[in-house]
Parts: sequence; C-alpha cells; structure tokens
Amino acid sequence: MKSVNAIAATFIAFAALLLLISTPAFADSAGIRNDASLKTDSGAQIYAHICQGCHMPNGQGAIGAGHYPALARNPTMSSASYMALTILHGRRNMPAFARKDPGDSESESFIDPVWLTDEQIASVINYIRTHFGNHYKDAVTAAEVKALHP
Amino acid sequence: MGESDRGFSMTRRQLLRMIGMTAGSAAMYQAMSGLGFAAESPYKAPLKVGGAPKGASVLVLGAGIAGMVAAYELRQAGYNVQVLEHNARAGGRNWTLRGGDTYTELGGAIQHCGFDKGLYINPGPWRLPYHHHGILHYCKQLGVPLEAFVQVNYNAYLHSTKAFDGKPQRFRAVKADYQGHVAELLAKTTQANQLDTLVSKEDQEKLLHSLRSWGALDKNYAYAKGELSSNRRGYEKDPGGGLSGHPMPSEPFALKDILDSRLWQGLPVGDNYEMQTTLFQPVGGMGVIGQAFARELGPLIHYNAKVTAIQQDERGVTATYEDTTAPGVKHTASADWCVCTLPLSILGQIPMNVGQAMAEAIAAVPYAAAVKVGLQFKRRFWEEDDQIYGGISYTDQPITNISYPSTGYFSGGKGVLLGAYIWGLDAMEFTAMSPAERVQRALEQGSKIHPQYPKEFDNGIAVAWHRSPFTLGCFAQWSEQARAEHYDNLCQFDGRIVLAGEHASLLPAWQEGAVTSALDAIGRLHQRAAAAGATA
Repeated sequence: MKSVNAIAATFIAFAALLLLISTPAFADSAGIRNDASLKTDSGAQIYAHICQGCHMPNGQGAIGAGHYPALARNPTMSSASYMALTILHGRRNMPAFARKDPGDSESESFIDPVWLTDEQIASVINYIRTHFGNHYKDAVTAAEVKALHP
Repeated sequence: MGESDRGFSMTRRQLLRMIGMTAGSAAMYQAMSGLGFAAESPYKAPLKVGGAPKGASVLVLGAGIAGMVAAYELRQAGYNVQVLEHNARAGGRNWTLRGGDTYTELGGAIQHCGFDKGLYINPGPWRLPYHHHGILHYCKQLGVPLEAFVQVNYNAYLHSTKAFDGKPQRFRAVKADYQGHVAELLAKTTQANQLDTLVSKEDQEKLLHSLRSWGALDKNYAYAKGELSSNRRGYEKDPGGGLSGHPMPSEPFALKDILDSRLWQGLPVGDNYEMQTTLFQPVGGMGVIGQAFARELGPLIHYNAKVTAIQQDERGVTATYEDTTAPGVKHTASADWCVCTLPLSILGQIPMNVGQAMAEAIAAVPYAAAVKVGLQFKRRFWEEDDQIYGGISYTDQPITNISYPSTGYFSGGKGVLLGAYIWGLDAMEFTAMSPAERVQRALEQGSKIHPQYPKEFDNGIAVAWHRSPFTLGCFAQWSEQARAEHYDNLCQFDGRIVLAGEHASLLPAWQEGAVTSALDAIGRLHQRAAAAGATA
C-alpha cells in the first residue's frame, strides 16, 4: 500500500501544480496598470490614502463580523517599533508594506504588491502617534524602520 | 521491480479511483481536471444519500457558497445540520446589488441602490468559467438559469491615457495590427534565411503559409491597408448593397505606434484558461445562486448570527454567537463536527481552541483589497452609439475596466455598467474614499473612454471589499511562501473542526474554490464520522 499511496501523492502534487500555474489568471490581469507606491512622504496623506480605508478617518476602527483596531487612544501605539513591524510585515488580515523583491513570485503578479518606503512608514507612524488623541513625543526615524527589515 | 512498477502500469482510470479513495473526492476532481477527464465525467455528489451515522450532527459556520454546499450535501447524507450566518441574507460574497437594496459598509456609510428593476451589479464574483464543474453543477441542480457572459468583445475598447492622444481603440484593430505586424516581421525574417538554424526549409514553407493566414498578410507577406487587413481590423466604410455599397479599407496603425501604446497588454486576457469562452452568468445576477441555496436549506440557516467563540472537546464543537438584531445575549450552537467557512480575516479574531499549526495558518494570510463600482445610465449608449454588446473595455486608469452587461441587449430604458474593478494600491485609495467620491472618480475616468458619461449618468453604488462588514477584505491573498508553509495545515482537520472556503483552495477568489474545498472537507468529515460511528 505504501508505494501506491506514494504514487497517488505524487500525482496529486502534480495536479495541484497545474492548478498553481493557472492561478495568475484569476482576475482581470490586463496588466496595463503598474503603480505600486504612493508619491508622497506626508504622514497625513499616507494615512488618508491607505490606512483610513480600514482604520477609518478618525482612527476609530470599525466593528462588523470582525473588527479593525482603533488607533485612537490605543495603548499599543506607545510602541513605534511595534507599529513599524506591523506595517512592514503585516499582521493577520493586515497586509505587509515592506518592499518585496520584484522577481519574487509570478503567481502574485496580477496584483502588484503595494509597498511603502522606510521614510513613508516612519512618517505615517509619527502622524498616527501625534493624532487621534495620541500624544507621543518620541518620533521614529526612517533608519530605525530600516533596521527592522528582515 | 515489485509494487512500484505495478503502480505505473495502472490505467488512468484505476489511478483516479485510487486517488478518490485515498485523498477524497476533491483531489480526484483536481486530478481529473489535470488529465482533461472532468469534462467527460458526470459530476458526482461526494456523499451517499442517507450514509450518515445515525444521529450525527454538523455545525456549519457561514452561509456562503462553501458553507451552503457543505450543508446541502451533509443534510442529503442524513446529518443533522445547522448553519450560522452573520448577514441577514445567504450567499456571502455571492451577492447581487439591485434597486431597492441598502448596503451599510464599515465606518457607517449607507448606500441605497437606485437601479431600475432588473438592473444590477455583482460586487463579488461575476463569471462562471465553463470548466468550473462544481458551481455549474449546483446551478443546474438548484434550477438557476444561466446565460453567456461575454468576456472578449472585439468591438470593446483598449485605452491608455498615454497613447493615441488618449483616444480609445477598438480591441479588434489593436489585435489585428499587433498580429499582422508580428506576422510580417517573422515572415521577413524567415525569407531572409535568418531562421535556417532553427527551422527546416520544409517547415519554413509551412510557417510562411501559416503567417499569412494568422496575420492577414498579402501575397507579398506584407501587412498592409486593404481588404485583407480590414477584414480583421474593420473598414473605414463597411461593405453594403447597391451603388453606395463599395467598402473603404481602413489604415492600420504602424508597428511602432502599437508597441508604444502598450495596448497589446490588454490582448491576452481572454486567452487565460479562466477567461476562455464559454463563460456563464446566472440570469438576474450572481446572487441568484445564493438565494437558491437559501431557499433549499430554509430554516437550517440562522441569520444575523455573529460567531464570537468556537470551542471543541472530545465529544463535539460549540459555537457561541450573538444575534446582531438583539445584541448582548450569548447563544450557543453545538454539534459533533464543525465545518467552518468564515473568512480568515474574521476567523483569526475569534477565540478557537485549535492546535498551533492551524492557528498559524489562519494568521498567515492577508486579504486583498478590491473595489467595484456600478453605474446606472439613462440609456444604453454603449450599445446605441458604440455598438458594444457585452464584454469588457480595459484602460490604464485606476478603474482598470468597464464591463458592459451581457444581458438585456437592445432593451430600451436605462442600463448599468460595471464602471470600475480596482486592485492593489488603487483599491486601497478608493477604499479610503467615501462611496460618493468613488462613484465620482469612476465617472471621471470612464468619461475618457465614453464621453457620454456626464450627460447620461443617473446613479451609482460602490463596494470596497475591505469595508465589507462580513469579510473585511476581498479574498485570501496567499503568497507562495505562505502557501508552501501553511496551506496543508489550514486544510487539515483539527480535532472536530475543518475549514472550507476559497481561502482553503488553489482557486483563490473563485466560487469553484469554495465548492471544491467544501466537498473535500465534508468527504474527510464523513470518513471520520463513519469511523467514529462504527466504534461508538
């Protein structure tokens, strides 16, 4: 039985591979559109164009079947490096914003990975930590964000 | 050589049967698809009618496609089934917005859909490829009428703000010119003996012959203005009858203009396996499938049930939930087994006692941003003025495309376009806007392709999937690395709990992924339940 199962496993893996190869086609990958990063270093602008989609315009978060954490009056905001790590590497549903190696993966290519520079990440962290009822005085620098890359 | 040799001498049918036994029906289905067998093989329900152990029960979390396929088949097999659903309707992302519907997104913005009777958009899935046998099977089974979905329309537009002075070009002309010029180049290369080391003389003759046919080249192997090229790219004046019927050929674009335009990037969309003709859509909107399942399952589905905890022990699984219309009171639902189809974006926030492997898999996958905008216009100008009947125009603007309805052709009155289907950074930016601003942007960008927009616009609605209260995102955006590390752990049973949904499939974002993952999961559930039933 052992060898029979091994053949089956190989075969299934092969079938699965065929499916993997076909996955880039799953949406309208016309590929004409290629912008993957915002052209601003303003923390306020970055927040307004990206973060508030989920964390909401006043950092109040939202609750449905699940929730988006509020950034307003959230004690976690006391740690700028926690925020930087979350933005760089993602956390559960939250996507990662560290720049990815462009040659990394074909099957992800139909949605260009969105990324922020270390300057942009520092800037938006500093914005969040001084708005929405947060009053943290210690600003984070791009160099400190850079040090948190893998 | 022994057993392994014997294995290789098996017929493919024997191999398939064996895969079916060892790995469940969904693996078999996948293997069949890989061999091109699925088309000739009738779809089979995974469980035998009445095959459930006596008294066995299953709790299904989520009444989307995966949850309802699981509930439907498990009930058929004789299990006691109950389903908990967060929304007041069934279907999940299988969803159609029609006139009279109200949608409240996270953050509280309320939109009232003002479409005329019979007009709609599908905020989620909108196409059914002919080879998605599972979802098509349930359409047939549940009496959901299907009609053709037009993906490729040669008379739709390819548009770039940076090419041809921003003037949209017909797909037909771009395709013919791109193909014609490439064919001519290759023919010239062949005739100059530059392919001699690659292609034999005999095959070069055949190649030249095929290039003439493929590229609409003239007898000198040139792609030139004339009857041949116009028969592909369209005429300046179409042939007609009588004295005025003489056609006028059109002027092809130069190769350089076609290449510079980058519009060739829009040509292969319909060549992708998932987009190849024939595609289907349910008559009346994709949500008709979810409605049909809901009708079938009836009182099995508890609506407005927000799951807040999932606990299992050696005897069964209990979900704690809250009625969203009467919050503050905890209810529970229990069963021997649980098929959990909640999106990972939600599930990752719900306390659940599963092992580390599954917990880490649930936490490993972010959800994609995507936005769709539906626009109602006072008349079907795309048909009346542009002769576009169904299909999709593509653009380099954030809206990415405009999709024309594949139904109701030539009907007078109003019409609804899918005015935007947005991904990536653009989707994040659109999500961060108010619904009215999303609609406004879609109008501005779309009017670069259809100048009729401002005059004919009636009303619009915009769905940003990260603002969806019931999914917090569009679909599980697996990276290759996360899939290699976590996919199997996500799909494995953990005690009495198994997960299903598009996130537990290799067909991300497709309903077929939800169907096949549900069939795979309940096949394994049934094996376990039968084994447990035998020892009890």
